Amino acid sequence: MAEKSFNAFEMAQTQFDKVADMIGLDRASRDLLRFPLREFHFSIPVHMDDGTTKVFRGFRCQHNDARGPAKGGIRFHPQETIDTVRALSMWMTWKTAVADLPLGGGKGGVICDPHNLSMREQEQICRGWVRQVYKNIGPYSDVPAPDVMTNGQHMIWMLDEYEVITGQKQPGLITGKPVGLGGSLGRTEATGFGVVYTLREALKHLNINPEETTAGVQGFGNVAQYAIRKYTELGGKVLCVSCWDQKDQTSYTYTKGQGIDLDELLKITDRFGGIDKAQAKKLGYEVLDGNDWIEQDVDILIPAAIENQITADTVDKIGARVKIIVEGANGPTTPEADAVIQQRGIFLIPDFLANAGGVTCSYFEQVQSNMNYYWTKKEVLEKLDQKMTSAFWDVANLARNRNLYMRDAAYVIAIERVAQASKDRGWI
Amino acid sequence: MTQSTKSLDKLILTLEERVKELNCLYEVEEVLHDPDKDLQEILNQIVNLIPPAFQHADACKAKIVYRDEEYTSEGFQESPWCLSVDITIQERTIGWIQVCYASEQQESEEGPFLTEERKLLESIATRLGQHLLFLKLKQVFNKWETAKKSISQAKSGEWQVILELLRRTDPDLFIRISRKMLNLLIWKGVEEAEELLQQFNPYARYNEDEVLGESNMPLEKLVFGDINVLSMKIFDVAREHFSDADILTRIQKWMQEDKTSFLVRATANFDTSLDEIYEALRRYYQINPIGMELAPSVKIGVRASLIRRIFTDQLQFIDIAKQYIRVADFYELMKRMIFPTGSHGKLGGKSAGVFLAYRILRASEHFHDTFRNVKTPKTWYLTSDAMILFMHYNNMEEIMEQKYKNIDDVRREYPHVVQLFKNSHFPAEIIKGLSVALDDLGDNPIIVRSSSLLEDRIGSAFSGKYKSLFVANQGSKTERLEALMDAIAEVYASTIAPDPIQYRAERGLLDFHEEMGIMIQSVVGQKIGPYFLPAFAGVAFSNNEFRWSPRIKREDGLIRLVPGLGTRAVDRLSDDYPLLLAPGQPGLRANVSPDEIMRYSPHKIDVVNLNTRRFETMNISDLLHEVGNRYPLIEKLTSIVGHNHFRQPGFNTNFTEADLVFTFEGLLRQTDFIKQIYLIIRELQNKMATPVDIEFAHDGRNLYLLQCRPQSYSKSDIPAAIPANLPKERLLFTANRYISNGLIKDIQYIVYISPDQYTAIDNLDDLRMIGRIVGQLNKKLPKRKFILMGPGRWGSRGDIKLGVNVTYSDINNTGALIEIARKKGNYVPDLSFGTHFFQDLVEASIKYLPLYPDENSVSFNDSFFEQTPNLLNKWLPEYARFNKVVHLIDVSTVSNGLLFHILMNGEENRAVGLLAPADSELLSGEPDKKSSSTLTSEPWQWRMQMAEKIAAQLDADRFQVKEFYVTGSTRKAKAGNGSDIDLLIVLKGRGEKKEALQIWLEGWSLALDEINYLRTGFKSGGLLDVHFITEEELAVSAEARQIMSQLKTDRISPLTLGTAN
Repeated sequence: MAEKSFNAFEMAQTQFDKVADMIGLDRASRDLLRFPLREFHFSIPVHMDDGTTKVFRGFRCQHNDARGPAKGGIRFHPQETIDTVRALSMWMTWKTAVADLPLGGGKGGVICDPHNLSMREQEQICRGWVRQVYKNIGPYSDVPAPDVMTNGQHMIWMLDEYEVITGQKQPGLITGKPVGLGGSLGRTEATGFGVVYTLREALKHLNINPEETTAGVQGFGNVAQYAIRKYTELGGKVLCVSCWDQKDQTSYTYTKGQGIDLDELLKITDRFGGIDKAQAKKLGYEVLDGNDWIEQDVDILIPAAIENQITADTVDKIGARVKIIVEGANGPTTPEADAVIQQRGIFLIPDFLANAGGVTCSYFEQVQSNMNYYWTKKEVLEKLDQKMTSAFWDVANLARNRNLYMRDAAYVIAIERVAQASKDRGWI
Repeated sequence: MTQSTKSLDKLILTLEERVKELNCLYEVEEVLHDPDKDLQEILNQIVNLIPPAFQHADACKAKIVYRDEEYTSEGFQESPWCLSVDITIQERTIGWIQVCYASEQQESEEGPFLTEERKLLESIATRLGQHLLFLKLKQVFNKWETAKKSISQAKSGEWQVILELLRRTDPDLFIRISRKMLNLLIWKGVEEAEELLQQFNPYARYNEDEVLGESNMPLEKLVFGDINVLSMKIFDVAREHFSDADILTRIQKWMQEDKTSFLVRATANFDTSLDEIYEALRRYYQINPIGMELAPSVKIGVRASLIRRIFTDQLQFIDIAKQYIRVADFYELMKRMIFPTGSHGKLGGKSAGVFLAYRILRASEHFHDTFRNVKTPKTWYLTSDAMILFMHYNNMEEIMEQKYKNIDDVRREYPHVVQLFKNSHFPAEIIKGLSVALDDLGDNPIIVRSSSLLEDRIGSAFSGKYKSLFVANQGSKTERLEALMDAIAEVYASTIAPDPIQYRAERGLLDFHEEMGIMIQSVVGQKIGPYFLPAFAGVAFSNNEFRWSPRIKREDGLIRLVPGLGTRAVDRLSDDYPLLLAPGQPGLRANVSPDEIMRYSPHKIDVVNLNTRRFETMNISDLLHEVGNRYPLIEKLTSIVGHNHFRQPGFNTNFTEADLVFTFEGLLRQTDFIKQIYLIIRELQNKMATPVDIEFAHDGRNLYLLQCRPQSYSKSDIPAAIPANLPKERLLFTANRYISNGLIKDIQYIVYISPDQYTAIDNLDDLRMIGRIVGQLNKKLPKRKFILMGPGRWGSRGDIKLGVNVTYSDINNTGALIEIARKKGNYVPDLSFGTHFFQDLVEASIKYLPLYPDENSVSFNDSFFEQTPNLLNKWLPEYARFNKVVHLIDVSTVSNGLLFHILMNGEENRAVGLLAPADSELLSGEPDKKSSSTLTSEPWQWRMQMAEKIAAQLDADRFQVKEFYVTGSTRKAKAGNGSDIDLLIVLKGRGEKKEALQIWLEGWSLALDEINYLRTGFKSGGLLDVHFITEEELAVSAEARQIMSQLKTDRISPLTLGTAN
């Protein structure tokens, strides 16, 4: 029974196979790219607070580093499996490739549940992880980052252990560090702004004047807020946002006449992106059901909340006027809905292109750390704009020339870049 | 010179005289109080102080005569113009004071003297008399002290002298001491002593059979003989058995004890009022504040009596408290007690708890280090009978009967009752006491807490049932007093609020006469701007019933911590979160990632607003924006948020502007607060021999203990009593790992996600779909009447094959969240313990239970969950294709009307899920609670009222009804919520109208059943059970006659019948 069950790695391979078929990829390339280049499995003994010693299992998977140092997060997960780590490392390879960053893909993790661990014990796991794998990672070979249940604090512990072992300051080893300790400015804005940089280029591509457009946004978290800010700067009007209401345990859509006022809303929003319903009403906002954002009469939809929002059930509610969907969130569209969107001719900017601002900024952090010279926020965001713009046009041009759906085009370009680099190096 | 100026001059003159007299008195007092002066000096000075006080001071001379000694002012000589006053001690004249004018003076009121002048002389004489008495007594006392010293230093054999002295001066004490010696001799088994005892009463020597035997007759009392003679014999015998020194020591000890016996008598006697007890304590400490110790056994006895009189009758409590609460503590306590004259009231459980707790900590080895800054706030107490006095004073006696009313009536009338209380007046003596209390407490805000006597009773923790009210205590004294009385009246009113009444009814405590003591406690905190608040506050439990990690043990305890007033930690909140900590495992936090920490940190704060004089809830961000750095300990309580990373505030931090989260990180890392709390709850649990919960607050410097009581369980956290020998076929599962407390009753639906089938799903969308189905069911199924059972980790986000991908909103209506860990090959997966929404579960009281079905020691009924009919298709036809994975089981339809119940007992670390009827005896919940849960005014009362209504509305003529009786459980006052109403109706003649009557009654029956269902949830299809007897049957049937005569024996009389309108 276990063999039949859902397996993330198998799913990632299937997805790869589909694209490989599409571009007629050769056997050797397939064999290379269907599996990680290297995997490290190791044990991390930790002296627990209660005096016992517990041994944790750790992994690091480098799927491909033909284009540059492997890049990817470290997960602390109680039921981590190597297959999950493999799948995620493969996905990182495509993600860096589509953004045309000189990086490869990797992923790592430790089987543990931080809820059962004190901070000291977590620190010991972090340091233990580095001790086991420091020979195989580094600023120029494999650069970890925070992921599920890890954060800046964990990264600092890991970096510190690495620097102790190597006897050198090497902040480029790891990203996701706090500003002031090797972190980069602009990270808060990066994903949201990146979404709109690609949107801006898409509008150019479709010959639409941004000032004449309206948009509906799902979500009001970090990504959505900065996306709205940038989009409004372009002259567009956001007609609705939806967000989660913690108190009512449901979501609502907020609309206001000719467009919402971001700054006005931010004043009544908590740090989790929850809008105060009562106050919003006072400000004249109309409060609708949380699912209504998709039905609004707008030109652009920006799903920037959680996955699986545009589904077979909801895709038909998308208004006739909608011309562009920008996936700010990860995986907001299901394959069934994808088919409908493609058929209706709506221009879609796929998630791993649209929200590549995050990984691009991580790359900038690494670059700055290696130089030990840090840019201003303005510089970071300008460079981000350039990167995103060029990444968009690469995909958009391919889609137009080869008449591909944008999501497929993005995958094609990513896989082809990695395959090409591997070939150029003479591996295959 | 006008008339008016003349009288004005006279007035001034008179006033001047009074001033002179007063000055004289003051000066006399001063002289008397000078400890360095001997008597001669004193008298010499006083005699010179007197003349200046007289009208014609220059001519005035004075003389004092005392014990043949004369003291005169200069130039004294007798003259015809004299005034003389006697000095007396105990009505015996021992001297006099004389004042004479050397020459004749103008005639005044009494010769040349003024009336006031004579009074002045009398006053001085009285004071002198008192002083001389004092000196005399002091001398006597000194002699006694010397004698005492010499007694204690007396050599062997000298005890006879003392004894002889005693026999002459204090025969009563002499007899008591002789008797004690006799007791001692008998105790030591001296035979002659027994003979002596017999001589007291030669007839009555108890034989052993009588004393130890089964005779129920009281033993005949012995009469003492001439003990005076006998006691000499007693000591003769004693001399043979003890050394002289021994006898001397004992006599001295008994004499000592005897001197303090009044205290023993006052405290042991139940008739002495609190005033008398206080008087006795005062006397005890006044005669000898130190040194004159009570004997150890007596001391404990006095402590126990005082505890019984002032705190509680509960033996368990007395047994512990007497070891820690000293007699001196009561002396201090009673200075802050307000009670009516002749009071026999008590202070109630809450006062007792915190009073004892502090004394336990004081006795602890940690008191001088870890507990060095642990304190209790200044508190005044109002005894329980003050409430009774208050009610009598306002003629509100009938209000006490409110509790017997139907709960709906209680609820409806409650607002009026509160107003009635608040508009009533306090008796003058209580007002006086409160006024003194306010002077003592100053204008610090106060909290008025109820301290119910019912709280003492084990198993009935009225946690939060009665009110506690904050009083800002600002403004004029009158305003403050008014506000305080208003608050007390409101707390009084809460004794008959619907919730406590219902709670008491459910526990059979209605008839217990509720009296409530009041604690008036100074609120712990600091004034910051217009606000008053502690730095932080919280509650701590010595048993942790909400463990978020398997590494946390029950005894690691639990703290709920909030900034500001502790109200937010005491109550479960729906929209905010206290910080949860296990003090035994401070490193293991319920929330780990920065996002979780931020989401589940406190966002609101309770404060007392001194300007508005109100208790207010504020947004923390607003408060910090206003007061910023002035918030006490702010740098230890908060962390600064930046890029998903926390930093500790530094010297440079501007707290009015920084983005702050209350993480309490500095407090936990840099102070020994956690250690303090952990040691406190451990210490209290050990010494009180029961798990405890405490309330505390910290003002930035000191940690104050506000409350301590045996760990109470809110209704949902009571350890369920799991009966032995449960029928196997009714058990659906058992568990014995990581069990918390709880009883989840009457579950109608089980949503079961089959672990095997869930693992078998091979695509992500379908896995996600399961989460969506659960969310749908959560919306459709009746709230808290269903449970969710699923594999692995509920709420799994990343790898959703590890557990169903749900958010809190998808499960927030469930009664329990169950995670099933099925073995996979060799390993059992870790469960989540609800960590993904742990605090939401805690605040909503949703129970979490992990199951490990593949372990040997537990059972798990696979076939029930996997094979009983699945209603998913019916409820959610659109998801029918998932019916192998998601099972929706309607419990009663598959089990012949039974419901599902989960009994969880953390103490035994055991839980069972079983099928049983709704009101099954198995589900008694609390061990001491009767099985039938009564919901409102007693079920039989309601039934009786309804029967009376039926009788009154029954048209006796039309239906030819002769008599109408209520029988069965309703009549016997034993009816439960599921009982029917038994009626016996006697019909005239042959009962031709019986059928019509039956139809008429059927309507009642159905209607009452419906009402009963709405009230209690019990449904039987008809609530009336009617038996008919006709006159004809009575004539022929012996059985019928038998029934009627039984009614007569049971003294059941018929109800009044209605007639045609």
